[in-house]
Amino acid sequence: MTRISIDPITRIEGHLRIDVEVDGGTVQKAWASCTMWRGIETILRGRDPREGWVFAQRFCGVCTTVHAMASVRAVEDALQLEIPPNAQYIRNLILIAHALHDHIVHFYHLSALDWVDITTIPKADPARAASIADGASAWPGNSRRALEAVQNKVKGLIGSGQLGIFSHGYWGHPAMRLSPEMNLILFAHYLEALEFQRKACQVVGILGGKTPHIQNLAVGGVMNAINLNSLATMNMDRLGMLQSLFQELVPFVQQAYFVDACLLAASYPEWFRYGRGVANYLAVPDLPVDAKATQFDLPGGVIMNGNVGSVRPIQNWRDQAIRAAVAEDVTHAWYQGEGPQQPWKGKTDPDYTDFHDDGKYTWVKAPRYDGQPMQVGPLANILVGYASGHALTRKWTDTALNKISSVPGPTVTPQDLQSTMGRYLARAIRSAMLSDLALQHLQLLTANILKGDATTYNPPQFPQNEIIGVGMHEAPRGTLSHWVVIDKRAFSNYQAVVPTTWNASPRDQKGNPGPYESSLLANPVADPVKPLEVLRTVHSFDPCMACACHTLDASGREIAQVKVL
Amino acid sequence: MNACAAGSDPQTSKRVCVVIGLGNVLLGDDGFGPLAVEMFRCEYECGSNVEILDLGTPGLDLAPYLYGTDLVVIADAVKAEQKPGTLCIYSEDDLLGRRAQLRTSAHDPGVQECIAQLRVAGQAPSELIIIGVVPESCALGSGFSASVLSSLSLAVDNIARLLVERAIDCRRRQAPAQPNLWWLPGDFKCVASS
Repeated sequence: MTRISIDPITRIEGHLRIDVEVDGGTVQKAWASCTMWRGIETILRGRDPREGWVFAQRFCGVCTTVHAMASVRAVEDALQLEIPPNAQYIRNLILIAHALHDHIVHFYHLSALDWVDITTIPKADPARAASIADGASAWPGNSRRALEAVQNKVKGLIGSGQLGIFSHGYWGHPAMRLSPEMNLILFAHYLEALEFQRKACQVVGILGGKTPHIQNLAVGGVMNAINLNSLATMNMDRLGMLQSLFQELVPFVQQAYFVDACLLAASYPEWFRYGRGVANYLAVPDLPVDAKATQFDLPGGVIMNGNVGSVRPIQNWRDQAIRAAVAEDVTHAWYQGEGPQQPWKGKTDPDYTDFHDDGKYTWVKAPRYDGQPMQVGPLANILVGYASGHALTRKWTDTALNKISSVPGPTVTPQDLQSTMGRYLARAIRSAMLSDLALQHLQLLTANILKGDATTYNPPQFPQNEIIGVGMHEAPRGTLSHWVVIDKRAFSNYQAVVPTTWNASPRDQKGNPGPYESSLLANPVADPVKPLEVLRTVHSFDPCMACACHTLDASGREIAQVKVL
Repeated sequence: MNACAAGSDPQTSKRVCVVIGLGNVLLGDDGFGPLAVEMFRCEYECGSNVEILDLGTPGLDLAPYLYGTDLVVIADAVKAEQKPGTLCIYSEDDLLGRRAQLRTSAHDPGVQECIAQLRVAGQAPSELIIIGVVPESCALGSGFSASVLSSLSLAVDNIARLLVERAIDCRRRQAPAQPNLWWLPGDFKCVASS
């Protein structure tokens, strides 16, 4: 038995530690631990609910807008306040642009190098690579000339001995199996993706006033002024800028990212067999298309025990079942408290004990739905949509599965999506869907403005008595909910149940592990000193611990460690 | 317009400069970067080719803001051996030369990774400088420690000096603008430039 401890495991903000016990080349037991206290929402107690979102968007440096949005939705829910259609569309466009940005960064910059061995790129035949890429997609960046230029850059990088950040990859690992040509194609798009991240940011900047911290939200709507005759407001020029940004961004997502994810999946079909883990899925509806938020472009629902034939739909954010079902357990987390707590009654009082395998070992609480652990994220989103017969989900999922099955190898079915590779693929499917929806919601906004509706805000009225609300958002990493109690016009409690809390959850009082932990069971580990396979499965969830003080380390101390114990 | 829209403009051949504050304002001294760039904005006036941005803790999402720029000045809390409040200035080589580890951590805003990516893509800034201060406490919501505040005006003036030395339009305002330090209590007073 070999014990491996990887700390930290994320490429972005936050401290995530994964411990696994390996025997006979596979993982037998796993623990997910967040090594920094996550009680940032306590800073909101006593504050004016109208300004909560400004603080909430500082919970995490990567997921800024999603917390801002969940916060205003929570207060609006408590007030039962409708927001104008223009405000829904503007918020939706911000959320779509943010999600596209986030998913692109995850695929290329946070996880591609777990699969792509760039040191083989000098051996690639650019003509052959161009013909493979051309056969799969109409993306213009796939020309032989473009790929040759990227190959030369990589040759230069390797020749200079200055691989920089790329020197830490598990190059030459036996689990790296792409051809030099495939590695070249994916790395070329990795570089191109940097340009498209900017375009997504620009959309958020135009609508939100600034990025990454948007300025235009308000409880009751948005503060964007709409006047087609004014240069300083939302007018046809701005709408035209948004249209052209999306027209550049959408082809990259649908012709490069989506296709790359399908090619990657077809090249690593064995990863549809690993990493299933918790097969209970939760997704909330999002992208409302009316003021009352009764109709949504992304469906929500609950699937239990991997039974994709049966989904309990969550029709809207007033759904009573989800409000009653969610509770957080702290048996194995460094907090005080007995039994699961409903978030409105939730407390965050620390009780640190050091790492105990069978006791407390993490700062992440264990959220449960009717007592069960749940997996959230794009996979939950896609499975719920597919099971509910949602047309857009079916269109892009079927396109992906057909694309993968057209490559010689095993046929992939919707059932196979419940896996490590399924999570990568689901994120790409969701991105392709969101790209279609971006153009649709821009059209909805434009049409509504042209109809003469310039309203963006309904002023909130706060009662003196205590009110409670929950704000839901299907964020890039999955279901996010902010639970607020407002008393005498100030927050008296504020709990954020974030996607990574669901997925990185520790064991609960019944001993049931969370999704990261259970997904690692039976994962292969070819070389305990280079646990690449563990990273693949954990990265498939797109971890973001969102809790850390990020002080820049200039002392040159080694931070990341893989310890084989 | 925001920095994502930036990029060298060949028509004017004006160099694009970004002054960035990094750090989480909810975590005490970690908010030094956002504080410093806000005070810089209030005390100095710059040409339209200079953008001043509070980017929080973007990790790898920093890349779009550095893409295609000429000069980047980052104000941030830094972990170094010196005592709290010490002001440290680093060049890009100082930063990149240190290490390239398996994974970045919480104690790393992703600057190294972003620069390395942008270099390969041919879009890295021509020059990057970090103005750091050693924090005393990065506890939740505790405001700023006296040691860190004592270095604030020095940090702000150094941002201006770095710009002026590179012939970038940056002048002290005759009357400082009112800073927007929304995350601090209303009675907060910072000992800023004289």
